[in-house]
Amino acid sequence: MPPEETTPSPPRSSPDEPGRPGQSPPRATTDQPHRPDPSPAPVAREPRWHAPAEAATAPVGAQSQASAHPQASAGSASIPNPTAPSTDHAGSPTHAPTSSATAGIEVVDVRRAFGSVQAVRSMTFTAAPGSVTALIGPNGAGKTTLLLMLASLLAPDAGSIRIGGVDPIADPRVARRVLGWMPDVLGTWRTLSPRVVLRMMGRLHGMPTHVARARADELVAVVGLEQLADRPSRVLSRGQQQRLGLARALVHRPRVLLLDEPAAGLDPASRVQLRGLLRDLATDGCTVLVSSHDLGELDEVADASVFVEAGEAVSGDRLASARGSSTTWRIRSLDPAALSLALGRIGVAIDRIRVEGPSTTVVIDADAHAADLLARLVAAGVPIVHFAPTVGDIERTFLGLSGQTGAPGLPAPGRVQQRGGVR
Amino acid sequence: MTGWMGLLAVVVQLELRQRVRSVAWYVLLGVVGLITGAVILVLYAGLSSTPAEVGGIIFSTVLFLVLLVATLVTPALCGAAINGERDAGTLAATQLTQVTSTQLVLGKLLATWIASLGFLVVTAPFLLASVLLGGLRPEAVAIGLVILVLEIGVTSAIGVGLSGIVRTPVFSIVTTYLVIAALSVGTPIAFGIGTLVVQETRTIASPMWEYSEDGTSSCELGQPIEMTQPRPDAVWWLLAANPYVVLSDAIPPSFGLYGSPDDAFSAVSLLVRQAQQPPTWPSCSDAFVDGSYEAQDVYDEGVPSWFVGLAIHLALAGTLVGAAIVRTRAPSKRLAAGSRIA
Repeated sequence: MPPEETTPSPPRSSPDEPGRPGQSPPRATTDQPHRPDPSPAPVAREPRWHAPAEAATAPVGAQSQASAHPQASAGSASIPNPTAPSTDHAGSPTHAPTSSATAGIEVVDVRRAFGSVQAVRSMTFTAAPGSVTALIGPNGAGKTTLLLMLASLLAPDAGSIRIGGVDPIADPRVARRVLGWMPDVLGTWRTLSPRVVLRMMGRLHGMPTHVARARADELVAVVGLEQLADRPSRVLSRGQQQRLGLARALVHRPRVLLLDEPAAGLDPASRVQLRGLLRDLATDGCTVLVSSHDLGELDEVADASVFVEAGEAVSGDRLASARGSSTTWRIRSLDPAALSLALGRIGVAIDRIRVEGPSTTVVIDADAHAADLLARLVAAGVPIVHFAPTVGDIERTFLGLSGQTGAPGLPAPGRVQQRGGVR
Repeated sequence: MTGWMGLLAVVVQLELRQRVRSVAWYVLLGVVGLITGAVILVLYAGLSSTPAEVGGIIFSTVLFLVLLVATLVTPALCGAAINGERDAGTLAATQLTQVTSTQLVLGKLLATWIASLGFLVVTAPFLLASVLLGGLRPEAVAIGLVILVLEIGVTSAIGVGLSGIVRTPVFSIVTTYLVIAALSVGTPIAFGIGTLVVQETRTIASPMWEYSEDGTSSCELGQPIEMTQPRPDAVWWLLAANPYVVLSDAIPPSFGLYGSPDDAFSAVSLLVRQAQQPPTWPSCSDAFVDGSYEAQDVYDEGVPSWFVGLAIHLALAGTLVGAAIVRTRAPSKRLAAGSRIA
């Protein structure tokens, strides 16, 4: 889908900075997460999943960073020292990034085949500490396979992986101190209560009993499962199980978090809380990699995104062209008639305009054009109350890659149902 | 090493808490205790022997019952220990901790073993009763308990090992049952078939006896005839791998006044030793073999086999557990088609 008019080449998606391939060109000047909706409500100020863990993990002091890292690497090389984990887990943050610049996730030319099926063809990307990276791709693109390899559960056929500077294939036990993993299909010991599950996980991570106990109580509060903490896990709903899975992934205060569809089954309030939690973790220096199908969700939380297609990370060129493809913007006005009039007067081609009930959609080629159009509409005195892309940046890129522009005439897969009622 | 054992203990604890410690398990233990009690009461009522003999019979019967129940229930209990967790998606969570696959598999094995020993614990009252009845030989008690505990461990190891090797829980449970059945039931069947197949035919001159009036007798060889006899001594070794035979053969036997076995162990091991005896062919020379039945002699002439059987069991268990440890290792390089990782 070649763009009719190319926007200025996005500086952030140049190959010399592969860690942020999904940074949207128009907003490259800011470091804010993608927001499809320009309404002012910063993610960081959204309600969180209760405070205690944030309070415990937030003060990442410089001296604790310096002390935590050598300790972690020394303790992990051998049998867990009974004293090391107690200081490690008792309260001093272990989110401290490693001193080397290679912390976070580094994947170079990783391949994995299952029989004749090449699930991951050639993946190369990095995820930086202190950021949330989205892993995006259609079903069967190899996302879960990739996450399994990152989580040290599956060995790649070729290529190298570094999790916080550790090779999870050569040194899985060390890597497992660093990484926390939440699978897409969460299993839990059905007869055990969430509190007991978290305690046992802590002890399996080598924590002394009392530390594991304290950490479990803390995490139960973090994910808001206090009411159900002592009931068997089988009574948990899907969303509550997701929360338990997230808590389980956080038990040992990992510096790299791998989350496969973390928001599945969560209610909207919980999603907002999850977002806040992920952002807080990233702020504390954690590397967060999130795979999700909910593109709008990712748009709001991700600093960078990696697009996966047929087992490969999509190249910068294709991303730029996908991103440059035209987008549908939704405009609402207090006076629809004035809006239509103004649009015509400004000279927007009639085939680009479409009236859907109370709102009007316009296909716009570039963000600069959108800004220009908005300025002109406002100047024309049209009372605009809503002016936003119908899909977020990530979704736009995703649809652009899959050959959909999201234009009204060509309903994108994700929008078909929504528009069905109008047509 | 305390750290290694500590993690192992956590796995055992986790396993016992989530898999074993359920109401159904306690109900099952209670039912087993009641059934054992009923059998023992019927046995006690039916036996007209002196109390001194009853103690040994009850003790050996209880141990056999415990072995039977343990081999019947343990596969169901542990046959999905690893692949069931893999299906439920909980195995990967454990694998991503500091626990090694060796600790994981051995922990599951220990937990199953401990749980299955619950059958021995619920029958403790009957064992105590048999002690009070008297007539128990201390060596029979000691050796019997040790071998029984080992055999229950072997059953657990086969179940846990197969659950790590076979992909689906149903098939691993069924395979475990088949292996256990092959050892417990299959070996006697194979022995029976073997005696039917392995037969020896000889052409011998049949002895003809003539008794004179003064009480002497003479023997003459008559016409040569063809005679066929089974050769259990050629296939008796099939019985060595039977857990009940291992348990019985390991315990020194005790025979009563008329060569009758004092307990079930002695009876079983005597049967095996008898099977080792080559058949006798009619001839004039063995005409006056003492007709009295000397069980102790038959036993002493035979060879012990329990250590061979036990070695086979331990080797089988060790191999399966070792394979399960290798298969449970993560990151995994090979995957069976359609298998789930997490």
